[in-house]
Amino acid sequence: MLRWRWTPWTALALAAAFPFLAATLDAQYLVRVGGVIGLFMILGLGLNFTLGYVGLFDLGFIAFYAIGAYTTAIAMRAGVPALLALGLAMVVTLAVRALLGLTILRLRGDYLAVVTMGFGEIARLTINNLDAFTNGPKGLQLAPWRPLNFLSDDPNIQYYLLILLAVAAGVVAAKRLENSRVGRAWVAIREDEIAARLSGIPVRHYKLLAFTISAAYAGLAGGLFAQWEQFVTPESFVFWESILVVSIVVLGGMGSIAGVLLGALVLVGFPPLMQWKLSADWINYRYLFFGLILVLVTLFRPQGILPSSRREAELTS
Amino acid sequence: MTTKAPHGRVLLEVKDLAQHFGGLKAVDQVNLSIHEGEIVSVIGPNGAGKTTFFNVLTGVYPGTRGEILFNGRELRGMASHDIVAAGVARTFQNIRLFAHMTALENVMVGRHTRTAQFLLGPLLRSAAFRNEEKAIETAAKEHLEFVGLKALGNELAKNLPYGAQRKLEIARALASEPKLLILDEPTAGMNSTESQDLVALVRKVRERGVTVLLIEHQMRVVMDISDRVFVFDYGVKIAEGKPKEVVANARVIEAYLGKEGAQ
Amino acid sequence: MLIQQLVNALTLGAIYSLIALGYTLVYGILAMINFAHSEVLMLGAFMALGLAALLPAIFGTGVVGLVGMFILSMAGAGVINVLVERFAYRPLRHISRLAPLISAIGVSIILQNGVFLWISTQSLRFPEPVAIGQVPVFGATISTLQITILAAALILMGLLHFFVERTKLGKAMRACSDDIQTAGLMGINPDYIIALTFFIGGALGGAAGVLYGMNYGSIKYNLGFLPGAKAFTAAVLGGIGNIRGAVLGGFILGILEVLASGYIPNGAQWRDVIAFTVLIIVLLVRPSGLLGEKIAEKV
Repeated sequence: MLRWRWTPWTALALAAAFPFLAATLDAQYLVRVGGVIGLFMILGLGLNFTLGYVGLFDLGFIAFYAIGAYTTAIAMRAGVPALLALGLAMVVTLAVRALLGLTILRLRGDYLAVVTMGFGEIARLTINNLDAFTNGPKGLQLAPWRPLNFLSDDPNIQYYLLILLAVAAGVVAAKRLENSRVGRAWVAIREDEIAARLSGIPVRHYKLLAFTISAAYAGLAGGLFAQWEQFVTPESFVFWESILVVSIVVLGGMGSIAGVLLGALVLVGFPPLMQWKLSADWINYRYLFFGLILVLVTLFRPQGILPSSRREAELTS
Repeated sequence: MTTKAPHGRVLLEVKDLAQHFGGLKAVDQVNLSIHEGEIVSVIGPNGAGKTTFFNVLTGVYPGTRGEILFNGRELRGMASHDIVAAGVARTFQNIRLFAHMTALENVMVGRHTRTAQFLLGPLLRSAAFRNEEKAIETAAKEHLEFVGLKALGNELAKNLPYGAQRKLEIARALASEPKLLILDEPTAGMNSTESQDLVALVRKVRERGVTVLLIEHQMRVVMDISDRVFVFDYGVKIAEGKPKEVVANARVIEAYLGKEGAQ
Repeated sequence: MLIQQLVNALTLGAIYSLIALGYTLVYGILAMINFAHSEVLMLGAFMALGLAALLPAIFGTGVVGLVGMFILSMAGAGVINVLVERFAYRPLRHISRLAPLISAIGVSIILQNGVFLWISTQSLRFPEPVAIGQVPVFGATISTLQITILAAALILMGLLHFFVERTKLGKAMRACSDDIQTAGLMGINPDYIIALTFFIGGALGGAAGVLYGMNYGSIKYNLGFLPGAKAFTAAVLGGIGNIRGAVLGGFILGILEVLASGYIPNGAQWRDVIAFTVLIIVLLVRPSGLLGEKIAEKV
């Protein structure tokens, strides 16, 4: 019991110490990889509300990462302070997601997958074509924002820590919602929509709620990505990235927070690690690897590598 | 054929209810009323429209025509979850539990309409939220104990034996504090010991003041448990009355056995 | 100009129709979207490319070689589709609706990246199958290539129609599509009919891939995605599960797309956005499509 209680804190402390260790080991490259892993952890935690808890398929999730990134970029270029721009990114993604959800959530599972895929493509192509706002394929440049100068001179370390903070906040929020009346309602809908409705759950509202909350995570991750890179282009938000987020949730275990974190660590961390240690060609195999994971996990371990365990109650009184 | 009104005041009154699917009249011209504290069975051959009738009562189907007055309130046109909030809960012919949640959590979900905490409470872990969570858990344990499943509370629903799953569905439904509990073939697939067990449970439910409406195929159970019986055939209610009266009714025998059997 | 556009639209529409038939046949029988279908059509095109280098030595360069390339590519695509069903979908058939969908997406990624990694990362030139000439019709010029494509597509649709309506196996397929359990009780082996359906759907997809390669003159590992998504739109537009609907939807989408790029300002740039928007609107407004039926859920 005690050991499990301290596991998250130990992991967080190790993760926070990592960039400073990496600096002494001459492995700064891994700090960048760590930051990207963190961004995908946030995305995975976000998609987990939609796909993991409620069981709604979303193949265009990266569109909201894009909307968050572009909102941040456009706002900061207009002189909005960086933190406010992040908040704005979350608000805009939430609003767009809520509108999308209102229109498409009555569709059945596989149709929903197709429609979200279509939305992802529409979003990317629109960003690509709307030169006046987004500068099209050439992308947008941002002024640097360095909030953690007191901790390190290295912007990669700063953003790594900032992203880690966001991951921690995201985990706490997800965990608290999961163990509540709302979280139980979500899982009930995933398990049996009709039984959930006839147990008194307003299914449509709760689906929309989970679907929308996902966007706050994507918006935050997108904003941090834009501020870190100081540059956004439509190229970063292709269909494959949506697939990657889906793979993270499926591999980790749908509805499992720890699973999503591990899924992101493995799927995002593995290819660059291989590339770094083995050969540059390795990076080309990553999508094949994602595809294999989707098929093999579904066939042989549908609950994922770290399945969500239900909370146990004290039954003797 | 109508027998004298039973005890209690009218809880549910159905007037001229119909559910048509294209040309098919799955339920048609159904008039009936159920009184507080009764146990009422609905019987009839397969395809008689019994489950469809339950589905209209609980808002799964919209109904084509007619009224469903529950405590004087019109249920037809209400969403299923609002019907639960109004005090009607049900179980299903083919068990529908939340398979990957524990038995206790299944019952906790049943508390949904009687609790209120939304996003901010859990996110901030407010005192109101923690108190409500505690209350939900306590109530859910009581309901589990009531159906005799307390010891299995931490088991995943899908791992429970069949009879326990049926009881868990009842506990989940009871957790919403219904005035009317609707059971769709609660003894389906059970042996006679299990059936008797379930009959005892249904009686216990009634003792708590909950009115029970059930579809039942085992005639022994029907005779044993029901205050009154409604008989459906081809979507229409063809008879009602005390169990003994109904089994003696010529139209009922005809519906079950065909015309020759009735002669 | 208009006639020229119309011919372009019909050519494109014919290709979409063939692909849409693959989606619709599978959906009709299993009520699942075969996400890997777009890769099957891509593989059809690549097989044709391989055969084009191989076959002339055996059959010569004439019509026989062309037909041979066509049939073998179709058969190959059909077999791939059957294998995908056997190993990635069948084990999950009764698990949940989500599981086969995830598996299908995985298969799609594997097939696409397999080609990317082991065949070519770049566009490859697709050989001209027939000497391209121009035929003047009503003042427009139509290439013999377009005529070939249209003719091939129409012949295949005719064959499918004959098979489904007039043969015993076709009848079994329709029975399974109506109610697979009852069909099973009538002595039809559902696994066999499902495999057959995947074979036919895959073969039609493979044919579409070959025609696509002929039409554009080059092929690439990711060529399946867009026509696949658009043909799916076509299948839904016509009423998914409905064979005539898939053909109708394919031609409507082809016409729409050509008109959009011809007559809307910057149309070529927004063409794909328009196709996806049509998809979303159709699914929202009339998910049963033009010729489909509504299906109620059972409690």
